[in-house]
Amino acid sequence: MRPIPPGLRKALVRVAMALAAVALIFGLWNLVIVVFDLKPYALPTPQAAVAADADNWSVLAGLTLQTVEETAYGFFIGALVGFLLGVAMSASRTVQRLVYPALITSQAVPIVAMAAPLVILFGFGMLPKLVIVAWTVFFPVVVNVLDGLANIDPDLIRLSRAMGARPLRGFIHIRLPATLSPLFSGLKIGATYAVTGAVIGEWTASAQQGLGTYLQTANASLDTQGVFGATILLTAIGVASFLAMVAAESLATPWRTRTTARRGLRLRTGFSAARPRPAYPSRHKIGE
Amino acid sequence: MVEDVTCRFEGTLALDHLSLEVDRSEFVSIVGPSGCGKSTLFNTISGLLRPACGRVMLDGRDVTGETGHVGYMLQKDLLVPWRTVVGNIVLGAALTRGVTRRDREEAEALATRYGLGDFLHHYPHALSGGMRQRVALMRTLALHKDVLLLDEPFGALDSQTRLEMQMWLLSVCEDLNATILFVTHDVDEAIFLADRVVVMSGRPGRVLEEIPIPLPRPRDLEALTAPRFIELKRQALGLLHGAGSEVPT
Repeated sequence: MRPIPPGLRKALVRVAMALAAVALIFGLWNLVIVVFDLKPYALPTPQAAVAADADNWSVLAGLTLQTVEETAYGFFIGALVGFLLGVAMSASRTVQRLVYPALITSQAVPIVAMAAPLVILFGFGMLPKLVIVAWTVFFPVVVNVLDGLANIDPDLIRLSRAMGARPLRGFIHIRLPATLSPLFSGLKIGATYAVTGAVIGEWTASAQQGLGTYLQTANASLDTQGVFGATILLTAIGVASFLAMVAAESLATPWRTRTTARRGLRLRTGFSAARPRPAYPSRHKIGE
Repeated sequence: MVEDVTCRFEGTLALDHLSLEVDRSEFVSIVGPSGCGKSTLFNTISGLLRPACGRVMLDGRDVTGETGHVGYMLQKDLLVPWRTVVGNIVLGAALTRGVTRRDREEAEALATRYGLGDFLHHYPHALSGGMRQRVALMRTLALHKDVLLLDEPFGALDSQTRLEMQMWLLSVCEDLNATILFVTHDVDEAIFLADRVVVMSGRPGRVLEEIPIPLPRPRDLEALTAPRFIELKRQALGLLHGAGSEVPT
């Protein structure tokens, strides 16, 4: 047998561990059913819930897509708004003092209570759902981006000023990259919140059917397999969003995990040691 | 390169009518007790601080309060983690006018010349402290300024690495024709590197004494233990600690 490269082996072990964690949860779930002798209408086994999803997939596929769309669009809007707010607030202390209390208040408003007035305002279409999802997503993004910008070493700012940095270039090359890591911390939290926002949106503004409305219907008809089936799907969407953010993060911030830049990202020049060099005559060779 | 009287800031007197004149291509070390205003002096020369009175003159031009005229390097390497070695060396260009192919070629040539050829595309976190400081110095060199301000650049390194870096800086200086102002706490380092050592008083900062260092160049480790070196060190330490010959060497 060919030996497995260590990088791949590491990745395989991590995937195996994650699958083992899911298996563990499903195992405990089954154990609870057996120990407390729960009837299927009270608590179905996870296998039964997944099987119900599979049986019903022709219907559920469309609903899942609808919910994924709401989650994704709302998430992007929320992330963008959060990022822009964070940058704007960091630019001016006055803006920050003015806006921060409003932001905290916005998160204290119970989102479920907000849902109904939003429907009255924006109708039964996509808009109120997007607002609700964005509402839950933008806050962790603002807070993290603000923290990231506040934690830039003031000496680095001084140094860039001493170098004669132009304000816009300083922003692009110093402040913006510094927000990336904290931005992704916010996005990872936001990605898992987003699904909850979408479900709450669907419960109140249900012109289009989604997993949230399906959940409501199944609940009303005591279809517990359907309820847990939909819940498992919603959970999967949340986990997938989180993983997508992890993947995006490792692409966007390669310096966190890599020793060297990817080949495609290197500043290429075609410089080679054989070519005659301009400036800096070589008189001393200093080894490391 | 001349530089005139500078003064107080933020209520307390940090620099008291300090005057310092530095010749072209001269290497001047500045030593003084903590809080004597060495960093204030550098911030003033670099244009980050505008002095209450006095002027900073560069080649006969008044550059008081103007940034971008000198290269500045601090004790912290301040490499940006998202840029590679080459990317960090060209940071000055990126921040002012945009990086050209020439800048990158020169950065690679610099890094290769000064012992980082195998690390061109490494991120800073993968480098040792000494290597990071080298990159920081190359970033300062790549600005192509005639005057370099080095504020305790080796202060955070262990003594072994520090000595290596001092030898390295000496060899870099021989390649360059730059005027260098070098702040340090370390009297040995000050004498070893410089053409002249400026001893500052405690706050408010004034120039206490200027000691010319007539040690021949190129200097090597032997210079550190030469009788002339010891004598200069005795003189500098005496001034620093406010007494003469009773300071043991």
